Amino acid sequence: MSNSIAQNRSFGAAMWDYLTTVDHKKIGIMYLVAGGFFFLLGGLEAMAIRWQLIKPENDFVSAGFYNELITMHGTTMIFLAAMPLIFALMNAVVPLQIGARDVAFPFLNSLGFWLFLFGGILLNCSWFLGGAPDAGWTAYAPLSTISPGEGVDFYVLGLQISGAGTLIGGINFLVTIVNMRAPGMTYMRMPLFTWTAFITSTLILFAFPALTVGLFLMMFDRLFGSGFFDASMGGNSVIWEHLFWIFGHPEVYILILPAFGVFSDVFSTFSKKRLFGYTAMVFATVLIGFLGFMVWAHHMFTVGLGPAANSIFAVATMAIAVPTGIKIFNWLFTLWGGNIKINSAMLWALGFIPSFTLGGMTGVMLAAASADYQYHDSYFVVAHFHYVIVGGVVFGIFSGLHYWWPKMFGRILDETLGKITFWTFFVGFHLTFFIQHFLGLMGMPRRYWVYLEDQGLDFGNLISTIGAFFMAIGAIVFLYNVVITSIKGEKAGADPWDGRTLEWSIPSPPPHYNFTQTPLVRGLDPLWIEKSEGRKGMTPAEPLSDIHMPNGSILPFVMSLGLFIAGFGFIYQKYDLAWLSLVFIGMGILLGSMLIRSLKDDLGYHIHKEDLEKEARK
Amino acid sequence: MHLHKYERIWLIFGISSLVLFLVVLGVGAFYKGTQPPSHLATVDPTKVEEHEAFREENLGLRKVGENDYIVSVIASAFNYNFGKDDEGNTIRKIEIPVGSNVLFQATTTDVIHGFQLAGTNVNMMVEPGYINSLKTTFKKTGTYTLICNEYCGTGHHLMAFEVEVIDNE
Repeated sequence: MSNSIAQNRSFGAAMWDYLTTVDHKKIGIMYLVAGGFFFLLGGLEAMAIRWQLIKPENDFVSAGFYNELITMHGTTMIFLAAMPLIFALMNAVVPLQIGARDVAFPFLNSLGFWLFLFGGILLNCSWFLGGAPDAGWTAYAPLSTISPGEGVDFYVLGLQISGAGTLIGGINFLVTIVNMRAPGMTYMRMPLFTWTAFITSTLILFAFPALTVGLFLMMFDRLFGSGFFDASMGGNSVIWEHLFWIFGHPEVYILILPAFGVFSDVFSTFSKKRLFGYTAMVFATVLIGFLGFMVWAHHMFTVGLGPAANSIFAVATMAIAVPTGIKIFNWLFTLWGGNIKINSAMLWALGFIPSFTLGGMTGVMLAAASADYQYHDSYFVVAHFHYVIVGGVVFGIFSGLHYWWPKMFGRILDETLGKITFWTFFVGFHLTFFIQHFLGLMGMPRRYWVYLEDQGLDFGNLISTIGAFFMAIGAIVFLYNVVITSIKGEKAGADPWDGRTLEWSIPSPPPHYNFTQTPLVRGLDPLWIEKSEGRKGMTPAEPLSDIHMPNGSILPFVMSLGLFIAGFGFIYQKYDLAWLSLVFIGMGILLGSMLIRSLKDDLGYHIHKEDLEKEARK
Repeated sequence: MHLHKYERIWLIFGISSLVLFLVVLGVGAFYKGTQPPSHLATVDPTKVEEHEAFREENLGLRKVGENDYIVSVIASAFNYNFGKDDEGNTIRKIEIPVGSNVLFQATTTDVIHGFQLAGTNVNMMVEPGYINSLKTTFKKTGTYTLICNEYCGTGHHLMAFEVEVIDNE
């Protein structure tokens, strides 16, 4: 079997396998590892920030370094941790849930991953090359355009490259879900996680171009002397804010919707019930995605857009609370009367409901434009968005990892350690961020390096820092859990949770072609239907025949490396045009690889029927 | 090149709608002179001091009516300029009688700054090239701290000013 072969392979061969793979399951694992690494990095930055704020007028880090920390914490967590971890789950699960053998464009899938990784590495190279970006993760112009050094240049080029990867990934999932569904898997039979992945991909398709445009304008302002954001040259700094938030607000829905999908699947599996209000859930998801594009200016209420603009955006923002509320109630109704099993995945999902609802409530408070004048850019806002992003997205990722870990790796994460992780993280999370609401209302603004003592801020900040340490302990326990599980964890069968959807009908981990025969889907929760009618597994929709699979390729890695090299060239040519040679080398590698890909036919290979039969007999 | 009929219709539809939107945008911008809805008051950020509202004698607190005041401020990294008092010293604190109507107007000479009077509704983003303004009435006496909440660089946390609301008598 392939397992015994895998154990005998040398490290180099395994490495080469991962560098060239176009298998969505392996790409999912790579997203998980890379995203996990950046999550730890961002967490480390967060710990440094909290340690700096533990007492008044602390001097743990310098003001300049503190600014680099806050900038990189936000940028890393959003672009390099949360998004890739979401992509990890989407890659690992979506093709399995729709009964496909791979994504629509396996080559592009790999390219998307490597672009993200090289973009992230480029961004983090700035730490060692004269200082990280220090203009805040929102990089408001003109602070970002006049920031000295190359920090913000790394921000612009790094995000541009990794953003291209995300855009590619989004398009890939759109096509996959539209085209690759198994027979009978109609749109209204798709599991909620697949639905949210679908809507998220749509949001990526429409939101990321705004970021791309904004970053291009900023790149020209910083590197080539244009003045798009320079008011003294006739430019306008407000345009950056618009572009950034036209991307930035849909971005938070890009993050949260897949988490909603995870919870929907987890709740229905562990309550042993069909998801309550499936149709309403789907429409709520679509509606959130749609409204998500009409609310960006609520980040800019105090800019002075005028009462008309502020009111429209305030109303649109509050409208989003309606579909979100529908979702919360549907989850509660799914639990109601269910045969509930509480394990780690379920704990994260249960912890999510009150945490996220709190964040949603402060969201409606902030959406009221007139009230926002008291909250804008205070710690109240910091508390709000950590409640929705940590309490929503991070909880969702943890829940999804516990739920799908057996499917991804063939072993079940340790339950005791999982529960310890949850409780330390959950308690730490509320300890850290709940008090920040009050710090904000007392007038503590965002992004302050130090604060004076005896202003009522000392105790709250101390508590917040203590909470952050609990979260760090939770994360470390989870890491330990991962290590211990991979050494001596309990082996998982195909269906460890008595699942409802297609991914649980195939072995854990699945063979690289996923489904020996494409399954026939006869309704929502297809596996559950078969099980409730007394069958062991899915009814195949096709006779056993040869399977067509794509070949692996190193080209996505090489193309991304080319852009990475060109990135340095673009940044340093502002000092010496000789650096342009790097641009030519890098772009040459990229274009050359594209040429090879275009000219060389790669028709993939077939797994023969006889081999599949042999495999099945084992 | 062969194109499927539906594909051709779809392409023609896509391209013509793009052209249509661009024409609408172009007519609006160049013929009708429409601007994005934004601040009405603009100022050249390199010549802020030449603007009526921010001339040296107009900076800081000004009484313009029985119960009406105007406060004009130039923000820059990392300072709020409220002008100078009669002896030529930099003003560090202003006093406003309780119950009076105050119009705050502010602009910046460099990057974006915040303008927040903690504990009140006064909270503005101060954008280069624009004058942001906000009217308020102070109903309670006390000392309010004016702080910069819009991240502006290494001295961001140092940008502060004191506004005292005093009894009328």
